[in-house]
Amino acid sequence: MKVLCDRERLREGMTLATSVIPVKSTRPAIENVLLTCTDDSLELVGTDLEVALRYRLEDVKVEKPGKALVPARIAADFIRDLGGETVCLEIENEHCVITSGPDRCELVTIDPDEFPVVDRFDDEGSLSIQGGNFTKLVNRTAFAAAREQGRYAMHGILTLVEDQVLRMVATDGRRLAVSNIALETGGDSTHKAIVPTKGMQLFCRVIGDPLEQVRVHFGTNRIGLKTSQAEVFARLIDGEFPRYSAVIPEAGATVIEADADLFARKLRLVANVTSQDTRAVRLSFSKGEMNIFGKSTGYGEASAQMEVDAKGDAEDVAYNPDYLMDGVKNCEADIVRLEYNERTSPGKFTLGENYTYVVMPITIDS
Amino acid sequence: MPSFTMNASDPKILHVDMDAFFASVEIRDDPKLAGLPVAVGGRAEDRGVISAASYEARKYGVHSAQPTARALELCPDLVLVRPDFERYTRASRLIMEIFRRYTPLVEPLSLDEAFLDVEGCERLFGGAEEIGHAIKRDILRETGLVASIGIAPSKFLAKLASDLDKPDGFRILRAGEIRDVLDPLPVSKIFGVGARTARRLEALGVTTVGDLARRDREDVMREFGASGAWIYDLAHGIDPRRVNPRREEKSHGMERTFPTDIDDRERLRLMLYEFCEEVSFDLRSRGLRGRTIAVKARFWNFKTVTRTKTLDYPTNLGARIYATACELLERVPPGPLRLLGVQASSLEDVRTPNQNQLFGDGDLNVPADDVRLGRAVAGIDRLKKKFGGDAVVPASLLARKAARSKEGAR
Repeated sequence: MKVLCDRERLREGMTLATSVIPVKSTRPAIENVLLTCTDDSLELVGTDLEVALRYRLEDVKVEKPGKALVPARIAADFIRDLGGETVCLEIENEHCVITSGPDRCELVTIDPDEFPVVDRFDDEGSLSIQGGNFTKLVNRTAFAAAREQGRYAMHGILTLVEDQVLRMVATDGRRLAVSNIALETGGDSTHKAIVPTKGMQLFCRVIGDPLEQVRVHFGTNRIGLKTSQAEVFARLIDGEFPRYSAVIPEAGATVIEADADLFARKLRLVANVTSQDTRAVRLSFSKGEMNIFGKSTGYGEASAQMEVDAKGDAEDVAYNPDYLMDGVKNCEADIVRLEYNERTSPGKFTLGENYTYVVMPITIDS
Repeated sequence: MPSFTMNASDPKILHVDMDAFFASVEIRDDPKLAGLPVAVGGRAEDRGVISAASYEARKYGVHSAQPTARALELCPDLVLVRPDFERYTRASRLIMEIFRRYTPLVEPLSLDEAFLDVEGCERLFGGAEEIGHAIKRDILRETGLVASIGIAPSKFLAKLASDLDKPDGFRILRAGEIRDVLDPLPVSKIFGVGARTARRLEALGVTTVGDLARRDREDVMREFGASGAWIYDLAHGIDPRRVNPRREEKSHGMERTFPTDIDDRERLRLMLYEFCEEVSFDLRSRGLRGRTIAVKARFWNFKTVTRTKTLDYPTNLGARIYATACELLERVPPGPLRLLGVQASSLEDVRTPNQNQLFGDGDLNVPADDVRLGRAVAGIDRLKKKFGGDAVVPASLLARKAARSKEGAR
């Protein structure tokens, strides 16, 4: 195998591949990147067995097709630090020789057959989505997914296709983000899958151009996404996602409308004095003003005011400020809208068109 | 300059320790007892132990934590009084109030013992010595009880000082005399040196505090690790601990030694039920709840086991603690027990903010049953506070309560 490529393009590909490839694995073969050279392209393949990436470089000059399994991190680091414009990859006597101008390294390779089989994208039954719309839904929801141990089903984003609408939902059991977007083409079929957050983030990373149409394929236990350059697969989470629609309130008796930027700033201000043990801010309302109050035994207390538009009883309510900031920062409109019924019921934030965020309050037993 | 003066500033920490507290309360309330060897504790027939002994009784070798049977052997004329914690608590509250007149920095260690930091109170009440005298005087005048007071630059030295001239002691340790006082003391006087460490130290030729202080700090650390540094510093009178008025209670529990060993698990469970009811009531009245439940069991041969479980959410409901305690009792190997106890730890304030959950099925959530039970229990607590602790009693404990009140009347 021998191929000449543009250093910058190769570097980009290797960076993507190494974001998938595990640093250490019980199966050492997957710590490598699989290089496959056909007549007109070089393909990089990496996987951690949960997610997999095929990345194709087309503007390359292939002198001799072939295949090699190369230590991923060392190769990526070496290529990143090279000075020349072009890089030559060549397999000689089971060594991978990387040269660029006067610089060169020789890496040991292992038998490519030890690498697991990574699927090819199946266009059959796939649907087409504008790349930017896909990443938008992921960015609107992923932050709410669970991170702590346990709660297996909540470690991913519930992805639904129904009635020509793509919907994503993420929750950690205390807050929930949900958003939809209409599909322009196809989408007559119905799909439901829990996609691990890591896989979703990789999907977003391979979508370079937001205007590009990407294809998504829902398989029985995996989901695939194809762009002009890459194919990404993620194994689905096999679990029962909580019945999310039941916890999204229709409307609340109290409606608060506040400037999103200002609200985020005031929240951050007050959150400074709250501690990890008592991560809570209290919102109270009177005469068109919202008071944000926080305190902790260790640090002290703080308060901030801002003008809001309030309708209804506007009972005092307390939330984790981190959860509020996560939402308000993502607000796409200038005004964020909060609706709730009482201090123990879920708060419903409207962060944009077809974009809802629900946060459970913090209560104090008296 | 020797290193011990480095940390030693003016004495400003007081350690106040009541003399033979429980026994003194009894003698105060029943003047007939004055001058007699008096001990507070459980009856020998019930395998009781001594909680406190008057100084007259101590002359015979009677001391607290001693089995009553042994105490009676040593002092056949011993006047044994059954403990009445309600009266001790009342007296204790009065004493703590007296402390707080002089400084807000009061750290109670038990009913009859506390550390006080009087730094910065000089302009109001005079120096530490004057405050010490004033406190001693107030306690005697207002409660009729005698306190021993130690005043020193650190907690460790203050506690040591209060013990030096006991009873009716008053001792100030100044920086210059620390060495003279510490050196001849046995190493076991150092907080943290128990029987085992003392034996290991003795093997190294260290029997007095002076012996320890003269060694090389590095050597002691090599031998005993981090605790080596701690005991070495204490031997030099260096104790960085501050008086902490908000020291939180770490656990709350109850245990009982039986008059005769009990093997019957049903009876043991009933006993646990009673303990759990009592412990949970105490937790609720103090606004606390615990996450970790432990059961302690001591077998006839004194072998002791504890079994613990951490709950998914903290609780102060008797039924929840009892259900957990029963699970834990199952894990105690069979055999006749002489003692059984239950304890709740990982305590937190009930006003700790609670993050509500979106989905009712999460294990982090407090079960709906507990929420309902909590409301019922709050009502029962109000009744108990109004009409007395026996106003509402679980049916299964009715027989026990009746038996106990008869016993009390005897």
